[in-house]
Amino acid sequence: MAGHSDSNSSEKKSSEAMNDVPTFSAENLQNNMKVIYYSRTFMSIIGGVLAGILGFTGFMGFVLYLLVMAITSIGLIAKAKFSVHAYFDSWNRIILDGFMGGLMSFVLFWTFAYDIVHIF
Amino acid sequence: MGLGVIIGVFGVLILSHAAYSTIQYRGLLKIMEEEFSGPPMNVVLELLLGFVFCIWAALTVPGKFLSIHPDSEENRIVSLSANLDFMIFNHRAKAFPLEIDMKLKH
Repeated sequence: MAGHSDSNSSEKKSSEAMNDVPTFSAENLQNNMKVIYYSRTFMSIIGGVLAGILGFTGFMGFVLYLLVMAITSIGLIAKAKFSVHAYFDSWNRIILDGFMGGLMSFVLFWTFAYDIVHIF
Repeated sequence: MGLGVIIGVFGVLILSHAAYSTIQYRGLLKIMEEEFSGPPMNVVLELLLGFVFCIWAALTVPGKFLSIHPDSEENRIVSLSANLDFMIFNHRAKAFPLEIDMKLKH
């Protein structure tokens, strides 16, 4: 009996066979979200340093931020081998998550780098 | 993961070298009293190279994506959480002599 187990180490969202509610491993999903968060935060910081060194001020800097986030999204989708539904439950997670938090880090490192390179 | 960290550090070093070059370039422009419109082309190339290294590091260092399907190949092994509810101590190891006794006789 010890070998017969059809439950998972995961929490199931629903286990009814009648309703077709998809179940997934929440622990793995959380791991994937953590990976995305780390990747995006690091790329925001690098994007900020880049904007500061290039000397962007004002609107151009935010355009660069959007560009860096788009490149990061594409990189993450490529890392998931383009089958997003095997690793996440919706597209929004891989595209939009961490956007706002990254914006704060971006502006911080943008001002740091700009000050160091262009003002002092 | 070790290689990813090395490449990330390398990318950051390249970026800081580019920053230093830009600082020197600005100093030069101040002497020649011209406006700063953008770093020189080789600095831009260096920035691009450092950026590519950092992207590579950002995608490989944090770890792999794990599949969330319950019935996929890599989710087959089930492990219960290691908390006290599942630990039993009333098993047949009590047939062994106590290690304390063995050590005293030695």
